[in-house]
Amino acid sequence: MKIQKAILPVVLFLVLIISSCKKDPANPNDGELITTVKVEFTENVSGVKESFEFRDLDGEGGNAPSEFDEISLSANKSYTCEVYLLNESVTPVDDITLEIEAEADDHQFYYTPSFSTLTISDLNEDSNNLSLGTESTWTTGAASNGNINITLKHKPGAKASGDPISKGDTDISIDFKVKIQ
Amino acid sequence: MKTLFLFLFVAFNSTALYSQCILSIRGKVNDVDAKSMLEGATVLLIETKHSVVTDKEGKFIISGLCPGDYTIRISHADCQSQDVHFHLKEDVFKDIDLPHAENILKGVVVVGAATMRAEGISAELRGKELASTRGLTLGESLQKINGVTVLQTGNNIYKPIIQGLHSSRVLILNNGIRQEGQQWGSEHAPEIDPYIANRLTVIKGAASIRYGGDAIGGVILVEPRLLQYNRQISGEVNLATFSNNRQGVLSVMTEGAFEKKGTTAWRLQGSVKRGGNARTPDYWMKNSGVEEFNMSATAGWRKEKKGVEFFYSVFNSKIGIFIGSHLGNLTDLENVIQAKQPPEYIRDADFSYLIERPYQSVQHHLLKLKLYTEEKNKNRLSVTMSSQLNIRKEYDVTRSSATIIPQLQMNLLTNMADLVWEHFSNQKFKGSVGLNGMHQINYINYRYFIPNYQSVDLGIWIAEKYQLKSWQFEVGLRYDHKNRFGITDNDAAPNDVLMGNSFLPGKPYGSKGFSGFSGTGVAAYKLSDHLRISMTTSTAWRSPQVNELFSNGLHHGAARIERGDVALSPERAWSIMGTLLFNTEKLEMDFGFYNKQINGFIYLNPTYPPLLTIRGAFPTFNYAQTDASLSGADFSMAYLFGSHVKSHLKGSILRAYNQHAKTWLIQMPADRFEGQLEYLFVDGKKLKQSSVQFGLQHVTTQKRIPPTGNIKITSPTGIVSMASDYMAPPPAYSLINFEANTSVVVNKRMVGLIFSVTNLLNTSYRDYMNSFRYFCLDRGRNISLKAKISL
Repeated sequence: MKIQKAILPVVLFLVLIISSCKKDPANPNDGELITTVKVEFTENVSGVKESFEFRDLDGEGGNAPSEFDEISLSANKSYTCEVYLLNESVTPVDDITLEIEAEADDHQFYYTPSFSTLTISDLNEDSNNLSLGTESTWTTGAASNGNINITLKHKPGAKASGDPISKGDTDISIDFKVKIQ
Repeated sequence: MKTLFLFLFVAFNSTALYSQCILSIRGKVNDVDAKSMLEGATVLLIETKHSVVTDKEGKFIISGLCPGDYTIRISHADCQSQDVHFHLKEDVFKDIDLPHAENILKGVVVVGAATMRAEGISAELRGKELASTRGLTLGESLQKINGVTVLQTGNNIYKPIIQGLHSSRVLILNNGIRQEGQQWGSEHAPEIDPYIANRLTVIKGAASIRYGGDAIGGVILVEPRLLQYNRQISGEVNLATFSNNRQGVLSVMTEGAFEKKGTTAWRLQGSVKRGGNARTPDYWMKNSGVEEFNMSATAGWRKEKKGVEFFYSVFNSKIGIFIGSHLGNLTDLENVIQAKQPPEYIRDADFSYLIERPYQSVQHHLLKLKLYTEEKNKNRLSVTMSSQLNIRKEYDVTRSSATIIPQLQMNLLTNMADLVWEHFSNQKFKGSVGLNGMHQINYINYRYFIPNYQSVDLGIWIAEKYQLKSWQFEVGLRYDHKNRFGITDNDAAPNDVLMGNSFLPGKPYGSKGFSGFSGTGVAAYKLSDHLRISMTTSTAWRSPQVNELFSNGLHHGAARIERGDVALSPERAWSIMGTLLFNTEKLEMDFGFYNKQINGFIYLNPTYPPLLTIRGAFPTFNYAQTDASLSGADFSMAYLFGSHVKSHLKGSILRAYNQHAKTWLIQMPADRFEGQLEYLFVDGKKLKQSSVQFGLQHVTTQKRIPPTGNIKITSPTGIVSMASDYMAPPPAYSLINFEANTSVVVNKRMVGLIFSVTNLLNTSYRDYMNSFRYFCLDRGRNISLKAKISL
């Protein structure tokens, strides 16, 4: 009798455990995944648009990126560059750029070209007049090849004027090849 | 000079006064585990070889003694014997607590446990030493035991390392039940409240025949004291405060029996802990707070030949992860290593109790039911059933402040059943036979790191012990079969892609089965009353864990990508251990050495180039196998200078070699040495058992690492080299610690007080076994005050 009494809580506990393990599918899309970085260029005189992408549908690890374009620009031109961050692993595609703009005070883009014939200027600003960089102006010189690093930093509550690129967490960091022709 | 003469004169006179040999030692002997008075214990006065036996109430008296130094040895068939030292100048009365002998407390837990406990392969923490660790985590507490080091992740996560091995190679038994959490993770601390324990025991390097042969490194026993069937309600309150992270811990325990000569007994216990940011000598570690809430309930019912025991415990913790350890990518890691300190905006943080992302939240339930039937001192049959639920949630720093869900959640349900038959056919021959069964379900949510799986493990074992004059032999054999099946990634579409393989959805990873034997043999020989030696050989195997087989993704706690290998085979260890134990009244020496050959040793191998992701390059590690050889020695020595000054010296040395790569194994503890000097005061009218103690701990720099590797390092001067680690092992360091102990009676209640300071000089250091060594200094000075009140 005593033993039966003791077994009762065990059974109750097991029922509790099993019922708490309900089978929701795992949800890898927790609103955090960025699969795609798209840079869109508008030539400032002709208004011609061109875009280049980095796409890694399964996020960090797993398969290699499925698309990694070389940025190809014309020599001696000026472009307006807009950068878009997307999660293309879900339907409809999630535009994360909107979220970055909504929390612009915590984010900052950095553009670091490896060569001198490409200069980046006029980065747009957040509501505190600190650099944001979702929009920028790219000016090309003579025909040449090189790389550009595009980095997005996340620094909640710590963003300040003149922050070095090393400050904060890295959300994005990609080295695109660039060809100026 | 005059004063000296005066002093000598008084001293001589008082000696003369007392040298009439009319003093007595009186005492009461208690069984500390059963908390009962011990009748029939032998009390031997070593100096005169005179012995007496305790009466019904456990009391004894030895009279007609001259003033001087004496040692008494108390022994009892059911208990471990113990020596107590006296500096006699007036009559003394002393309560003596003896720990209960092994086979009655929990059977032959691990083959050789009883022998080894005596032979130095095992070591334990209890009484005064355990009291001085109160308020610390289980891993930190175990560090007090010689030969145990820790794998550390910041200031709240500690995992014990035994003979260079940790995580799934070290088995922790919580009240006799195999602890089953997500042990594989180096930043997953054991989910156990150390206040449950009355004693912590470490058995080094022995294969656990009874609980599974996979404990290649060793076994840790977390043991509560036995229930009290014949005492009224009593209790204990423990308080601990720490200055470094302004941490407070409160633990309350109450227990009793329902009737006076009871058949039913119970115990309730709980503890709460809260700490804030820890402080290094130079800055606060932002977001390194901790919160814990634990409780347990025990109930027992027993009759002459049978009994039932019930135990339930719940462990809840929320652990902040130092924000400076959260890195975006490889460049961020290189930046923080080059800067040698966290960025200024993190260093500028103040003290706070607030825990923000990133943090871990872990809950662990354990339910145990044990039924047994016995013929006294002959046979005992017991069935133990247990159920454990481990829920681990990891919250990363997220880009979106609106995110409230964890990024990783793992739920592990384990059910176990054990059947054990113990036989004590005569004094010379003892043993036990048993069957184990275990079923596990792992269920994941959110980001993929390890898959869902189920596993069934079955084991059968036998352990026998034989005593022949000065010889003692033990042999154990075990066979295990483990089957892992139902391995899926939850059928979430992107995850099949994520795993980077072409298995069909639904049953992408098939099943995996492993089986094998493990065994242990021990021979111990008593050369004389002072000298004992023993030799142990064992073989054990460990099947690859699911993370080693199937992990694939970003391990946020470690800021690296880890990739499993489905082709891994089990690892097999062959060990040989020897111990030498020497003790006289003044000198105690304990020397142990080991050599362990592990074929197919599974480890994380850094690969180059690092994996390219949208967030830049990540350090990438693949699971690989090699043959490893681990040899080392642990030694400890205690010497008593006169009657008041005690010195202690101990050290641990390990050499771990990767035989395939023909180089040292990475991430192994450096050699360490510790010296202590203790002064014991004569009991005063109010203050009893007072002592002060200084300790010096020295940890050498780990020079034995692979000289080259897959990691590209650029020095500040621009020289590029290939190394085995992102940062060279930190330099050697020495820490000075202080501790003062006393006991005082307040309102007829005994209050034990401990004041201690660790890292007294506030030395800046980093430890090689702390994964946060890349990011910040280790903790600075920590002053603590602990009180234990018996009710």
